Amino acid sequence: MIRIATVAAALLLSAAPALAQSADNKVVLTFETGARTGMVMVALYDSASAFDGGSARPVAATAVSASGSRVVATFENLPAGDYAMKAFHDVNGDGEMNTNPFGMPVEPYAFSNNAVGNMGPARWSAAHFAVSGETAQTISIR
Amino acid sequence: MIANRRNFLMGAAALSAAVVTPETVRAMAAQEAAADWALATADLDADIAPRGMRLVHGRAPADLTGTLFRNGPGKFRRPGGSATHWFDGDGLMRAFRVNDGQVTLEARFADTPKRRWESEIDAVVTPGFGTPGDARARIGSNDDANAANTAVMVAGDEVWALWEGGAALAMSASDLSTKRFVTLRDDLKGMPFQAHPRYDPDGTIWNIGLNGDKAVVWHLNADRSLRTAQVIDLPRASYMHDFTATARHLIIVLQPWVFDHRGMPFSSQFAWRPELGTQVLLIDKADLSRRRIYELPTFSYFHLGDAWEDASGTIRFDVAAGKDVAFAVEGARVMVAQRGSVPGEHAVLNLITLHTDSRAEMVASGVTAEFPKSDPRRAGLPPRLTVHVAGERPDRPLPTGLATWDWDTGRSDAFLFGDSQIVEEAVFVPRGPDEADAWLIAPSINLAEGVTELHAFNAARVADGPVATWRADVALPAGFHGAWAG
Repeated sequence: MIRIATVAAALLLSAAPALAQSADNKVVLTFETGARTGMVMVALYDSASAFDGGSARPVAATAVSASGSRVVATFENLPAGDYAMKAFHDVNGDGEMNTNPFGMPVEPYAFSNNAVGNMGPARWSAAHFAVSGETAQTISIR
Repeated sequence: MIANRRNFLMGAAALSAAVVTPETVRAMAAQEAAADWALATADLDADIAPRGMRLVHGRAPADLTGTLFRNGPGKFRRPGGSATHWFDGDGLMRAFRVNDGQVTLEARFADTPKRRWESEIDAVVTPGFGTPGDARARIGSNDDANAANTAVMVAGDEVWALWEGGAALAMSASDLSTKRFVTLRDDLKGMPFQAHPRYDPDGTIWNIGLNGDKAVVWHLNADRSLRTAQVIDLPRASYMHDFTATARHLIIVLQPWVFDHRGMPFSSQFAWRPELGTQVLLIDKADLSRRRIYELPTFSYFHLGDAWEDASGTIRFDVAAGKDVAFAVEGARVMVAQRGSVPGEHAVLNLITLHTDSRAEMVASGVTAEFPKSDPRRAGLPPRLTVHVAGERPDRPLPTGLATWDWDTGRSDAFLFGDSQIVEEAVFVPRGPDEADAWLIAPSINLAEGVTELHAFNAARVADGPVATWRADVALPAGFHGAWAG
C-alpha cells in the first residue's frame, strides 16, 4: 500500500568519486543498531538533486562493521557545505538491501537528522545538515 | 422511451433531489446537534485501568470462564488535526475477563509509531483508510501508518492487534502492553496480515494480505509460527476486508471496488464499478495455483461467514452483503463527525452457493445483519446458526440488538434492546456438544447510562434477552472485532 522501494535503489551504493578535499571538516556518524551482524552501509550526498534523485552517486560512501561495541562512520577532508546521509544495515551481509515480496525493505535504514520520509525516503529538505569543522550525529538504525 | 421536455425536466428534478453530495451532507450535518449515538466514536484520552463490572441483570453463568479481547478505534481527534474516518482511530485493545461470575474490564491503546508521533505533535497527520493525512506524517514503512485497530488474534500469552495494511502488533494478553510488530520470517517483515484469519479444523490458521492485484497467503501452525507464505496473483485489484475458507479451499470474494489511481487516503484509490459484477476466486489450499472463478451479481461486503463443502463438492458460505460502498466511503466519515444521517444501506445476510459446474448463486435471507459468526468448532462443517448484530435501520446507523439466523428453518431469533443501546459483535463460546449449546458474548454501549456493558446470551434463546448483563463505570467507544480465549 505504501511504496518505499525506491529507498533500496537509492541505497545501492557506488564508489565515491574523487573530490576536492579540505582537512578541516569531517562528519562522525554513530549508529545505534538492533543487530550485531553484517555491515552498516553509509552514503553521503552534497546536493538535493543527488540525494533526492534515486540514481545519483554519493560524494562519499563507506561500510562499517556492526559487530563492534561502537558503530561509527567517519567522513574526513570534506569541503564545507551542506550534506545529507542515507544508510542501511545489511544485517545478513549479502551486500543488498533486502525487500519483502511486496518490495518493502526488511533491513533497517536511516537518514541523517534521523529524518523519516512520508511514504518514501526522507527528502534532502529534512535530512540535510551543515558541515563546518567536525559535525557529529547519532543515528538510530533499528 | 421518447424523450420530451416534460419528462426531461421531471428527470432533472428527481436527479437533483437524489444526488446529495458529500459536501452537502457535511454542510447539513454541521448545523445539527451531536447524534445520540455519538459515544460510539467518542475519544478516550487514556488507557482504562482494570476495574470490576457490576452484574445489573440476570445471573452469571456458572460455567463461563475466559477473556473476550476486543479491538477497535479509541481516539480520533487531536488539536492539530483529526482522523475523519471510523476506520482510522488509534487501536484500543479491550479485555473483558470473566471468571467465576465476576467480570473485569481494562483497555489499553496499541503503542504504535503512528500514535507515538501523533501524541508528540498533538495532531493526527497519518493517512489511513479514509483520512487523508498531511505532510507532517512520518512514514518510512507500512507499519509507521499501522493503527492496529481492527481485530485481535490470541497467540499464547500474547494477543495480536490486527490491521489490514501491515503486520500484526503483539501485545501482552495479561496487561495489554505493546511488545513488537510480528515478523513471521525475516524476509517477510512488514507484509500485510489482514484482520480476519481463518481457523482451520486441523488447528492451523490461514490469512491473506493484499497489495494491488497480488496477495500473500499466510498459513500458520497452531502455535502461530509460520508454516508457509506464498504470493498469488488475483484476477482484479479489488478492495477486501475478509476472505473465507472450507477445509480444502480458500474463498476470495472480489467486489467491483477496484484500484483506479494512486492517492491517499487509501480508499480513494478504489473506484466502485458495479457493471463488473462480483467475482469469487476459489483456491485449492494444497496447491494455490489450482483455482476457479465464479461470477455473481454486484454486491459489496466487509464480512463473510464460515464456508463449507458438501460431499458433492458444492460450497456454501454466508455474507453480510451490501448494495454499494456508500457506508465505507461516506458513512464512516459521518460516524466520526457524530452528526447528520449516515448514508449507505445496511447489509443483508445472504447465502452464496458455488456449484461444481461453475455456476454461482446468491440467496438473501431478508434479515439485516453484520459481523456474521458461527460456532468455531464447526468451521468447515455446515452450520445451522449464524449469529449477527441486528436492528440497524435507515435512521439508526448502528446495531441495537443481536440475532441468530437458522439456515435450516429460515427463522430469525432476535433480541432488540431498542435505541438506548449500540450492540457490538458477538463471539460464540461453546458450552456443550450442540451448536446451540453456547453462550453469545457481546458488549454494548448503554447510551441511556453512558457506560459500556457486557452481555451473555443463550444461543438457543436469543429472543429471551441477555442471561446476564454486567455494567462498567466507563464508556468505551464501539469496537470492531473480538476473540474469545477460554
